[in-house]
Amino acid sequence: MFDATDFMEINMGPQHPSTHGVLRLKLKLSGETVMACRPVIGYLHRGVEKICENKTFFQTQVWTDRMDYCSAVANNLGWAESVEKLFGITVPRRAQYIRTMLAEYNRLASHLIWLATHALDIGAMTVFLYAFREREQILDLFESFCGARLTTTAFRIGGLREDFPPGFEKQARAFLDRFPSCIEEYEILLTENRIWKKRTIGVAKLNAEDAIALGVTGPVLRAAGVPFDIRKAFPYAAYAEMDFEVPTRLEADTYARYQVRLEEMKQSARIIRQCLDGLPEGPTMAKLPKILRSEVNEIYHATESPKGELGYYLVGEKGSLNPYRFHVRAPGFANLQALPHMVEGGLVADIIAAIGTLDVVLGEIDR
Amino acid sequence: MTPIAMTLTQTLVIALIQCVIVAGFVLTLVPLTTFAERKVLGYLQQRLGATRVAGGLIGVTGGLNRGMWAMGKLPFVSILRGLPFFVADALKLFLKEDTVPARADRVVFLIAPAISAAASLLVFSVVCFYPGTLFTFPAWVPVIGNCPLTGTIADINVGLIFMTGIASVGIYGIVLGGWASNSKYPLLGGLRSAAQMVSYEVPLALSLLTPVIISGSLNFREMTRTLAGLPTLDASGQVLSQMPVLELIPLFIGFFLYLTCGFAETNRMPFDMPEAENELVAGFHTEYSGMRFSFFYLAEYANMIVVATLASAFFLGSHYLLPFGLQHYIPESIPVLGRPNLLFFLGKIISLLFVFIWVRGTLPRYRYDQVMAVAWKYLLPLAILNLFLAATIRYCL
Repeated sequence: MFDATDFMEINMGPQHPSTHGVLRLKLKLSGETVMACRPVIGYLHRGVEKICENKTFFQTQVWTDRMDYCSAVANNLGWAESVEKLFGITVPRRAQYIRTMLAEYNRLASHLIWLATHALDIGAMTVFLYAFREREQILDLFESFCGARLTTTAFRIGGLREDFPPGFEKQARAFLDRFPSCIEEYEILLTENRIWKKRTIGVAKLNAEDAIALGVTGPVLRAAGVPFDIRKAFPYAAYAEMDFEVPTRLEADTYARYQVRLEEMKQSARIIRQCLDGLPEGPTMAKLPKILRSEVNEIYHATESPKGELGYYLVGEKGSLNPYRFHVRAPGFANLQALPHMVEGGLVADIIAAIGTLDVVLGEIDR
Repeated sequence: MTPIAMTLTQTLVIALIQCVIVAGFVLTLVPLTTFAERKVLGYLQQRLGATRVAGGLIGVTGGLNRGMWAMGKLPFVSILRGLPFFVADALKLFLKEDTVPARADRVVFLIAPAISAAASLLVFSVVCFYPGTLFTFPAWVPVIGNCPLTGTIADINVGLIFMTGIASVGIYGIVLGGWASNSKYPLLGGLRSAAQMVSYEVPLALSLLTPVIISGSLNFREMTRTLAGLPTLDASGQVLSQMPVLELIPLFIGFFLYLTCGFAETNRMPFDMPEAENELVAGFHTEYSGMRFSFFYLAEYANMIVVATLASAFFLGSHYLLPFGLQHYIPESIPVLGRPNLLFFLGKIISLLFVFIWVRGTLPRYRYDQVMAVAWKYLLPLAILNLFLAATIRYCL
């Protein structure tokens, strides 16, 4: 029916300003219309899972930092909790609160990166720098807590290595007081902006049925009207004691995801405030043996990372220092599957919006 | 005032001097605009300046960095921090290897940036920067003694048509550059620009027709005078014709129409389709480097200056103080405000250039099909209606 010359095959990535790292898309274009889109992944594959099967449980934590490098704390939390679940360790309540708080700060940082890059991809370059300005302050908080900004390795199995440093709480509260006005700034620039709405409303739709079938989780799923949030559904850390809402939208388009994530940022700020207000006294580290030797055991522990369901699957071996089998259910990996579904039939510019709205981080997809 | 008879040599020499002045003006304004773009965007976006993030301390860039630190410590010069970037930019562009992609259409590839840059500079040849004579050369100057230096290089009576025609030639540079690169992203960028610029030419030309109808002339100098609202006088000082005050309305609408189309014609946000960096890497100039790239860059900024110049000339009252034909409310007897002044013109051009940068810092980018929709569905009907309005007012009053 078509000549070979009717289509233009074009490679988007792995080196391209908007493929968020090293994602490669094989596109088939008819003019500007996308006829087919095939994501090619693996350019950042390091074999994290196999490496970690040869590391002790304590050593693996630093590898989790490097999967989704925009939300290292969330990865750390999932890992620490998985090992604690494997060994039946109970974490002190104060440590739970601090973990929850830092994980929520991390959600803010990750969502800010998403907002920044998504807006930049669509051309709103000022939002990019505004969002990075706020993220910088969150990274400063991480730095004062654990000495690192990006690859935090924030927690220890069994709790925390250290309590807050002096002055941390004041810094954290100062950020919270300023943050609502920052969100307002983004909203002034984007929410009612006609061009922004034209670029996002009805673009890259993914309805609830398809999202569930493709294993999509996180804000992308919630923007399709499914109120599934692991923090509510299977509470972990201190989330059971927190009062927060799970924002959802029904439109299932890019604009709805934008709204959901902005609302999530407000809810995260709410959770952080509750953690700071209700912070219990007590120790921050459980009593642990020097060496963790596993039994024959198998666990799957899911947490709600900023991108969606981050699950760790661990199989223990009798007397072994390292896991027998380690697998990560990375939210970005499942979410990326939805990309062809979202963009085929759209225009080239919509691919950029779709990649941005999926919030992919290739570090966790390729692992 | 009748111009004194000049020999051909004298005319040519004068024109050459004018060309040098105008080209010097434009080629100074272009790097200044890029500098202003950095500064203004920096302030809009609360960026930390290069003084804080520049890395090296050795070599050429190191020297420039240290220079910037020193400038920051002086009270008034501190606003100019980042000025050494001129030098760094120019050096970088000069020293870069000039690459031609394999199996590119060599001749076209090499000539395309020149077409763009030349076309954008040529437009200035008919711009009237100042009505009448700027100054007369004193008698002792060889060859051109006693000759007047006018504010227009070529005071031709079809100035506007010449201008729009030459401006359209600039599109060839982009389309050919994109095509000749033998690369897919530049090709997409070139195709986009062909479609976009051809579409926007239509409402652009129509919005420029409004001042033509109002002033009844195509000569740049005459148009600016009529459009400032000043009466045309005959030899005895009788008022022959004057722009009706009601024409203010179509002029006002026309200004925004023209500016919007101007944004699209110069490929600036929110219409920067041909080089949408987040979609097409760098659009039509992806494969260009070094000086050839900088010619495209120069053309883009020179085009911005063209649009700013035309908008301020036809709609904002050019070298008179008040815009939209309100100038006649200030009698010509008032010393500075009532007289034409080159500085008013420059001030308007620079303010409009600021608007270009401001918009870039504020708005996201349209999608390709939406850009076309804006042109054909909104701007074109509006421009036709506006033209109709202007014609009706002129006919009735």
